[in-house]
Amino acid sequence: MKKAMSLLLVLVMLTGLLTACGGGGGGKEPEYNGPSYAALKVGEDYTDLSAELRVITQRTDLVDTTFAEYVKEFNKLYPNITISYEGITNYQDDMTARLSSSNWGDICMLPTNILLPDLNLYFHPLCSLDELKDVYNFASNRAFDNKVYGIPSTGNAQGVIYNKKVAEAAGYTSDQAKLEADPNLKPMPKTPDEFLQFLQDIKDKTDAIPLYTNFADSWPMGAWDAYIGGCATGSADWMNIDMPQTKDPFAKRSDGTGPYEVYNILYQAVSRKLTEDSPTATNWEGCKPMMNRGEIGVMVLGSWAVIQMQEPDMNNAADIGYMPFPITQPGGEQTAAAGADYCFGVNKYDSEEGKIASMLYIKWFTESSNFSFDQGGVPIIKGSPYPDSLVEFEGIELIEDTQAPTELADLQPNVNRESEIGVNTDNTHVQRIVEAVVTGNETLEDIINDWNSRWNAAVDRYAPQS
Amino acid sequence: MSNAPTPAAKPKLTFVQKCKTMRGQQIICTLVFLFVPLLLLFTFTYLPFFKMVQFSFYDRDYLRVREFVGLRNYMDVFTRSDCFQALKLSLYYMVGSVFQISLALLFATILSFKVRGSKFFRGALYFPCLICGIAVGFIFKFFLNPGFVLDTLLGWIGITNTPNWLENQAINNIVLVCCSLWKYIGQNIVLFIGAIASVDPTLYEAADLDGANAWQRFKSIIVPSIRTIVVLNLILSISGALSVFEMPYVVTNGTFGTSTYFVVMNKLAHTDMKVGLASAMAVVLLVLIVLVTIVQKLVEKWLDYRENRPHDYGVTKKEAAK
Repeated sequence: MKKAMSLLLVLVMLTGLLTACGGGGGGKEPEYNGPSYAALKVGEDYTDLSAELRVITQRTDLVDTTFAEYVKEFNKLYPNITISYEGITNYQDDMTARLSSSNWGDICMLPTNILLPDLNLYFHPLCSLDELKDVYNFASNRAFDNKVYGIPSTGNAQGVIYNKKVAEAAGYTSDQAKLEADPNLKPMPKTPDEFLQFLQDIKDKTDAIPLYTNFADSWPMGAWDAYIGGCATGSADWMNIDMPQTKDPFAKRSDGTGPYEVYNILYQAVSRKLTEDSPTATNWEGCKPMMNRGEIGVMVLGSWAVIQMQEPDMNNAADIGYMPFPITQPGGEQTAAAGADYCFGVNKYDSEEGKIASMLYIKWFTESSNFSFDQGGVPIIKGSPYPDSLVEFEGIELIEDTQAPTELADLQPNVNRESEIGVNTDNTHVQRIVEAVVTGNETLEDIINDWNSRWNAAVDRYAPQS
Repeated sequence: MSNAPTPAAKPKLTFVQKCKTMRGQQIICTLVFLFVPLLLLFTFTYLPFFKMVQFSFYDRDYLRVREFVGLRNYMDVFTRSDCFQALKLSLYYMVGSVFQISLALLFATILSFKVRGSKFFRGALYFPCLICGIAVGFIFKFFLNPGFVLDTLLGWIGITNTPNWLENQAINNIVLVCCSLWKYIGQNIVLFIGAIASVDPTLYEAADLDGANAWQRFKSIIVPSIRTIVVLNLILSISGALSVFEMPYVVTNGTFGTSTYFVVMNKLAHTDMKVGLASAMAVVLLVLIVLVTIVQKLVEKWLDYRENRPHDYGVTKKEAAK
């Protein structure tokens, strides 16, 4: 009996092993002869198409409300396309894992950790970049080899959220009329030094917490990385092309620009006690009503957060302001990084009808739902109006990071991962700056030196310079 | 299959006939019923494990393999400042697990005898085990925040000058160990209560007649009787201490020097996409846990051996010394 059992065990294992090995890879990719995304006319083409779509999204908060409304609207045009939404909280990680099977659904938001050259392994090329780049902002965000794989859902501009009432009480305003009427008021800060003075004034003249770090929730701290590109350097090539080939990218520059200044603002603010008393006691959900009521002066977050700060009490919505990041380029102009939020992608293993239906929905969503405006985002359709919350960005040059050319496409992620700093992918390295002040174990210079040496080693491996 | 032992006296049977015998039917039934659980075990335990060992020899992320690097990942695990060093934090949790076992033993002994409300306390002490670990983490995150629950409670009894429990590096790891202890002690208690219940009650009566006090009863009857369970719990707790994840990940996210081996591994695998290196870390941890278990088994054997040899003079000498 024992022998029989062990024999069976071995058999089961072997069959399992063989089937498992054979089962790798996805299914077969169906042929596609339908029209491209750009050529589709929503509301006119394929109105009798019937399909069942499954959309996977990171916006768990909108699945049952906004998105359900959208589906209803869309169904007025396309009654035979049924759409079901699924929200995933831990989106990026869970979605990456799910992509390894070919039947995860029809539409999802492209996880940004999939390298551009790999997009064609999972997603259907929607159209050529040439067809789209003059019509859509951020069209090149998820494009590779002149093929667009993702349509941006909305765009983000990188700036600083602040409470206008608190700012005024501290003696600052962005309102030109008020500035002219009251000589005691100052315009909003434009350089790191002015910004730190602004925080100091909030501390001295109001009861609000000048800068709320959101340290405890970890992920809001990752937002600081978003300012080291377009905002800090004014260069569209910095993030994806220059930085991964540059040694000592975090080093202090003499002209008061560059990534160092971004992290230094955080370091100085915590050192000068211009942040909350205990970083580990912060609370993301709790910070929204506090910002709304004016108990917090400033938070460093992308424009997507503006609406979330208005929502606790819409009567105070007008108090929430959004200003460009306080770094001024040597020429005296301010720049702001802008970019696409998550982009829609279509499953390449989907049937032809499924693909057409998916593209119709995405196109309707982008062009007719008004999603981007309602969410306070930078418009996707070129020439569409900006929402009120971004009014202070008028006249400021928005800089979208250029995608690296084909031969350098995976350079930035490779260097970033190899260095284990995790710019824009990890939060703990920004938290480390706060920790350094609280514990006194290291200075900003120590951290910057460590980052530089790790970054340099990664550059040596992936972009060796002769 | 043909190796299945058949009584020698019987005439030779064909395979089909063999299958129809009582014994043959038994074997077939066992095989059929075993197939599904074994398949599940294989698919979800052994296959991922073999894959992980394979991954550990490559420089790769989740989707792409860069190159075969042999043992370089393993060398990195031992030479990097953050990987192996993180195991030092496990010492906190190991010491904590000794406390946990002792405390559980104490509670279990008290609750095994007639105590008022013992049923209630059993339930109350076991309750934390039923809560999801992540939820427990969030509870403690709020509990420990400056000016929140713990500080308020301490304030009521006059202690106001409290440290920042999660940021002060002298104590934050100890605080996290206490949180783990609160969560997992119920499990130990339940196991111990079960074991103590199986002790022959006549032993207590005999001890009472001999005039033994509670401590002597505990030392000479309960502990020897449930030794196997205690050792088992110790093994589980120590291997648990090597792989702590929930508490530091949820409560502090590994900040302020609370980043355990698992938290480091999680970051390397999911943020830096160094899946090969993280797999190597996992294999090293597995080897460590196996080693710890072997050592504990040996100690147990040695204890068994000592117990089973005829009562020697060592005991009487000790007794005499008293």
